[in-house]
Amino acid sequence: MLDRALVEEVLTASRSRGGAFAEVFVEETTGTSIRLDDGKVEELTTGLDRGAGVRVTHGTSYGYAFSNRLDRDALLLAAEAASAALREGEAGSVVDLRMLEGPVTNAVERVAAEVAASEKVAWLRELDDAARAFSPEVTQVVGVYGDSLQRRLIATSDGRWVAEDRPRIRLVAQVVAKRGDIIQTGFHGPAACAGVEFIDANPPRATAEVAAKRAVTMLDSIPAPAGEMTAVLAPGMGGVLFHEAVGHPLEADAVDKEASVYRGLVGTKCASELINGVDDATIANGWGSFTFDDEGTPGQRTVLFTDGVLQSFLYDRLRADKDGVGSTGNGRRQSYASPPVVRMTNTNILNGSSSPKQVLADTSSGVYVTSLGGGQVNPATGDFVFGVSEGYLIENGEATTPVRGANLIGRAIEVMSAVDAVADDFDTWEGTCGKDGQNAPVGSGSPTLRISKITVGGTGA
Amino acid sequence: MPDLGDLVRAAVEAAGSGEAVEAYAEESRQTEASALRGEVEGLEFAESRGVGVRLIRDGRLGYAYAADPSLDEVRIAVGSARENAALTEPDEFNVLPEAEQATAIPELFRADSADVATADKVRMALDLERRLVSTDPRVTKVDLAQVGDAVSRVAIASTVGLDVEYARTDAWVVAVTLAVEGEETQTGFSYRIARAVDELGVEAVADEAIERAVRMLGATKPTTAKVPIVLDQFAAEEFLGVLASALNAENVLKGRSLFAEMVGRKVGSDLFTLVDDGTILDGPGAAPFDGEGVPSGRTELFTAGTLNGFLHDTYTAARMGSGQRSTGNAKRGSYKGSPGVGTSNFYLDNGSTPFAELLRLADGGVLIAEVTGVHSGANPISGEFSVGATGLRIEGDALGEPLREMTIASTLPEMLAGITGLGDDLRFFSSVGTPSVLIGEMTLAGV
Repeated sequence: MLDRALVEEVLTASRSRGGAFAEVFVEETTGTSIRLDDGKVEELTTGLDRGAGVRVTHGTSYGYAFSNRLDRDALLLAAEAASAALREGEAGSVVDLRMLEGPVTNAVERVAAEVAASEKVAWLRELDDAARAFSPEVTQVVGVYGDSLQRRLIATSDGRWVAEDRPRIRLVAQVVAKRGDIIQTGFHGPAACAGVEFIDANPPRATAEVAAKRAVTMLDSIPAPAGEMTAVLAPGMGGVLFHEAVGHPLEADAVDKEASVYRGLVGTKCASELINGVDDATIANGWGSFTFDDEGTPGQRTVLFTDGVLQSFLYDRLRADKDGVGSTGNGRRQSYASPPVVRMTNTNILNGSSSPKQVLADTSSGVYVTSLGGGQVNPATGDFVFGVSEGYLIENGEATTPVRGANLIGRAIEVMSAVDAVADDFDTWEGTCGKDGQNAPVGSGSPTLRISKITVGGTGA
Repeated sequence: MPDLGDLVRAAVEAAGSGEAVEAYAEESRQTEASALRGEVEGLEFAESRGVGVRLIRDGRLGYAYAADPSLDEVRIAVGSARENAALTEPDEFNVLPEAEQATAIPELFRADSADVATADKVRMALDLERRLVSTDPRVTKVDLAQVGDAVSRVAIASTVGLDVEYARTDAWVVAVTLAVEGEETQTGFSYRIARAVDELGVEAVADEAIERAVRMLGATKPTTAKVPIVLDQFAAEEFLGVLASALNAENVLKGRSLFAEMVGRKVGSDLFTLVDDGTILDGPGAAPFDGEGVPSGRTELFTAGTLNGFLHDTYTAARMGSGQRSTGNAKRGSYKGSPGVGTSNFYLDNGSTPFAELLRLADGGVLIAEVTGVHSGANPISGEFSVGATGLRIEGDALGEPLREMTIASTLPEMLAGITGLGDDLRFFSSVGTPSVLIGEMTLAGV
């Protein structure tokens, strides 16, 4: 995207006041998004976004500037602006740039950009038809299809030169069901870093039916109970909780600011011995997967918990350099418009040995959570909350009546320590994670697991 | 570099016969400085511009955008929008608004704020952090101490004869503190958005972030009960976002709002008057016109508890029929997307009860100071919500022990009907404003 001599010139200019290292991130992203709503393909949008960001660092401090323009003048101006954040110092050098190679993490069979838009429109029609055919109580359907290709170039003053293309594809169904005055919704949105073969493997019909079933099922729901009880989380859902409640406080920027409940706890047991967890950027075609992170560090599999013992935090370059460890490849950014922040990739609780049926059968009462609507954590206190978008009462070892209006609330260490069963039916869930005003695609996953005691918020008795 | 006005006019000139074309261009220059441990933590400069083209042909809508385009690239975007429109379905309500001259709001652009040197903003961030860590012995660390500002311009032109632009300045300060006592850490948050850097009131924001952290030290989990609740402005503001979604006419028209059949009905208590007003300068959401060039206006959504109507853009107004006009509520996230219905300055009208009196009325109840998980725990379609909360026990007309790890749950109509008192302390943090709100009774879940 940019020639090597210009990149070297920009890096050299960025180091005019010294600092630890300088970095140039160049991006060109093209994409298509199509929205179906109210039975109509409402809108089809295509676009081109491009720009370059320059970062200059000193310890954990940094200056960052970006431009939409990729010409020499604009890039040198960005270099000057970014380096102005540093105190006056001796100019630094730029090491010869060396291309880093890595395995292809996100292989593509059928490139989305080469598939006609009319075919993509047809997927949305299939989705709409399938959702409405599922039940006469389905009253509204939104389908959103999106694909993008982000071409990235990362070069650093200490010699990294990394080029990687990231393909993304997603098809989302949001269904509204109505019975009398009761309205309920269902959502399903599988996603991957892949090509159109992902849609073949996850057909629009199936996506629509999952969302429609969720909405229609919830029409029978009663208000959720309130108070402390046992919760069984369906496959994938424990991963959502693990990402939010545990993963965020393990990000090294929170730890560095002493704003993490896990600070100082590496090597100690702070979860049930049934918990084995990883953050893994190397999963083929995962929603949070890549070969190199946005600082040019190879993506890796980082073990977070072994038998409940905390093994590691998640690092970007700045925090890793400060702690004298290697980056775990968790420096990610939304686009060229933002500097990297420490954040997760695919964050998973690994399979245990229980049978999922047995876990439920062994639970006399509580709630069975089959879909979470997302959550929020305060990394400093560990307090978290999750909305339950599909859940059931557990009565005598069986999931019975659906419940609505529930949420789960707790504190990270207490709740992860209260896990008393982990099954062997691992599944994933794809989401979008927000942090520091930036959004990033993340994967999470888990088998069925049980929390012996957690606070459920609801309006029922 | 072509002028914004030239870019949008180039798009309009590229329209074919029978095509309605609207181009929206924006550019902004933003600086953001944060401080940590007495040093600059981060200093970010952002300069961006882009153009989005909306094209309607035979009722079919296509959209295309480009970052920092040349005049030729804008014309190419018009071609892409044309190709995209060919694949969507016709909708007779896809129309561009008539060109209407909006009243300029010169106060939105503070030239002196646009000229504030970067070094001065860096100094403000450093001063903010110093104040945060040197006021209370229990607060010696911050999670975030940030000062930022932006200068932006918007231009819109269309084949209907629209050709408008305006400029604005915005500034913001954010503080997140960490209060520590023994093994316990609590966080405190405050922020403010203003028109200019010198209007930020950084010290008051700092002091509030300290107070909100320190008073939570020693928090315990309450027992589950139905109690009177006072939502402070931070907590009440979160619920306004859910209301905004349910009052969005697009959601109403498409069967995604619990308020769809409730116009003319008394939903909330007499105290509940809810307004959207893009012309008042008190809130940062002021603008002369909306995302498709329609002049901003004032819309009273609820008056004394009765629902009057919804927020509209040109599309939803046309589809609603019965003479409905756009309320000037077409909003854009950026040039990368076509406009949709959104709020301008959206606020719960002020009450008349002093805060201490609200507390006295809720004696034995709980002041909710923060709610979490609203985006996942509150459903604007069904109206049900269950969210995490922290707060303080109310004892007489004062605040008592801090409480954490609890949830509050209800439905929006029940909550609105249950408003029994409103503070006289209306406050805009962002483009959303509210006074403190007393609610007769809500389920609070803890142990």
